[in-house]
Amino acid sequence: MRWQYKFLIPSLVILLSIVAFPTFFLFYISLHQWVLFKRGMPFTGIENFYLILTSSDFLQSLKVSLIYTLSSTVLTFVLGLGLALILNEELKGRNVIRTIIALPLVIPPVVAGFAWKFVLNREVGIIGAYLLPKIGFMKSLLADPSLALGSVIVADIWSKTSLMFLILLAGLQAVSPDLYEAARIDGASSPQIFSYITLPLIKPAIIIALIIRFIDAFNVFDTIFVMTSGGPGTATQTFPLLGWKIGFLYFNLGQAAALAIVMLFMTIGVSILLIRRIM
Amino acid sequence: MQVKSHKKLKKFTLYLIISIYLVFVLFPLLWLIQSSFKSMYQALKIPPDFIWTPTFEAYKKALGGGMLRAFLNSAVVSLSNVFLVLLLGITAGYALANLKTRASQNIGFWILSVRMAPAFGIIVPLYIILRSFRLVDTILAVMVAHLTINLPLAIWLLKGYFEEIPSELAEAAVVDGATRGQILLYILIPVALPMIVAVAALVFLLSWNEFLFAFILTSEQARTVPVLVASLAGTMRFDWPLMCALSTLALIPAFVLVVYLQRYIVRGLTFGAVK
Repeated sequence: MRWQYKFLIPSLVILLSIVAFPTFFLFYISLHQWVLFKRGMPFTGIENFYLILTSSDFLQSLKVSLIYTLSSTVLTFVLGLGLALILNEELKGRNVIRTIIALPLVIPPVVAGFAWKFVLNREVGIIGAYLLPKIGFMKSLLADPSLALGSVIVADIWSKTSLMFLILLAGLQAVSPDLYEAARIDGASSPQIFSYITLPLIKPAIIIALIIRFIDAFNVFDTIFVMTSGGPGTATQTFPLLGWKIGFLYFNLGQAAALAIVMLFMTIGVSILLIRRIM
Repeated sequence: MQVKSHKKLKKFTLYLIISIYLVFVLFPLLWLIQSSFKSMYQALKIPPDFIWTPTFEAYKKALGGGMLRAFLNSAVVSLSNVFLVLLLGITAGYALANLKTRASQNIGFWILSVRMAPAFGIIVPLYIILRSFRLVDTILAVMVAHLTINLPLAIWLLKGYFEEIPSELAEAAVVDGATRGQILLYILIPVALPMIVAVAALVFLLSWNEFLFAFILTSEQARTVPVLVASLAGTMRFDWPLMCALSTLALIPAFVLVVYLQRYIVRGLTFGAVK
């Protein structure tokens, strides 16, 4: 046997048993009526998929997930690109600023969610109970259905703009400064340089950033769970929160598995669309 | 003259935008940290005191009692993940870097696709499997669950790095009669050390910060720090200073590792797509 396979086998065995097998198992579960603490798991075909896709919870979560994922991806992209462009310039204290901007990315999302829940709180939060009432805004940000979604999006922007920023900055730094200089000598204006040189050259970085951010936003659980648990009502119940509710609150693992598979296909679909559209 | 003042205005605007953003980033964190040094009464006070005598009551509460256990659990889970992932990831990464067959390319793609799958799709079957082994609410369960995220990531990153090391280095040693294990241990690991340390730091942090898997797989005995913070944040009787103190303690690895990790984190979190 070649030495490569000897080195590979331990990892392969582990990955097969903890990743590959569970993946196949997921499809198997989704085709059965699999409810915890209930005897018997009869094969039900696509019933789980039918029940999940036709439920009103699914439609609500589709709406919430769409708003959440779309606005968070777009806003973190715009912010991240802006910050990356600024910090690609010669500025004093550039390294310190970069580190601070990168910081939210490594912070436990649960802590990020709690920090925002704390400052936005209507009774004790510095923003929700002190600064906002001072300017005449009396509503509770996290208890009001129409404001809660916006609040969890702000927290997501806070924690994930860092990743956009770092990917796009890496893309910008790979562009040779000679190109800018040559364009300037030829008399190109700054907007022209941006749209004809910078943008085409960092396109691969942009695509990667958008795909990764989309997948990430689509799957966010921790910050939303800590801030609102999907509430008030179902105002912030994105797909992962719906899945948690079905699977681990109602113990209907079959339906939760079906939802996970639906999410997987949505992820793949949008990723392919993004790659095709932008490339 | 006009050009110069125009440039100054531009610089001023850029600094202004950056400053606003930095306030946005730092404000919630600093508020969290300063509240952890307050008493319950001070933390609830509106308008807040900006000058007060700091108290360490919240930290005493956080580190005494049953909560210290969560920190121990988190440390054990994270460190054992680092150890296992390095052991397995270095050998597998090295092997994959030297396998130029079709199959290895497919394995690479397969490993990469784990990143695409919703975490939720992994945890449902994993929960059923671990439950059938009666492993729910054990540290082992959380360790295994974190391995599903960390091992593919580490293999992929290390494979990429080993591919960049010139092959002459290893070939010379083969001619001299060294075994593959010796080459890896004495030649390649020292060369790849920066990446290995980065992978270790990244794995530690991902494991330390991870919530969903740990939350579903544990209840009381094996809960990690994020699970503890979330469960306290979900109760109705809020002890704000205590929660702030716990959160602040949970932040320490992030603060320690962010400076070092910055160079590698993009590579890590984009699965090596961006270098």
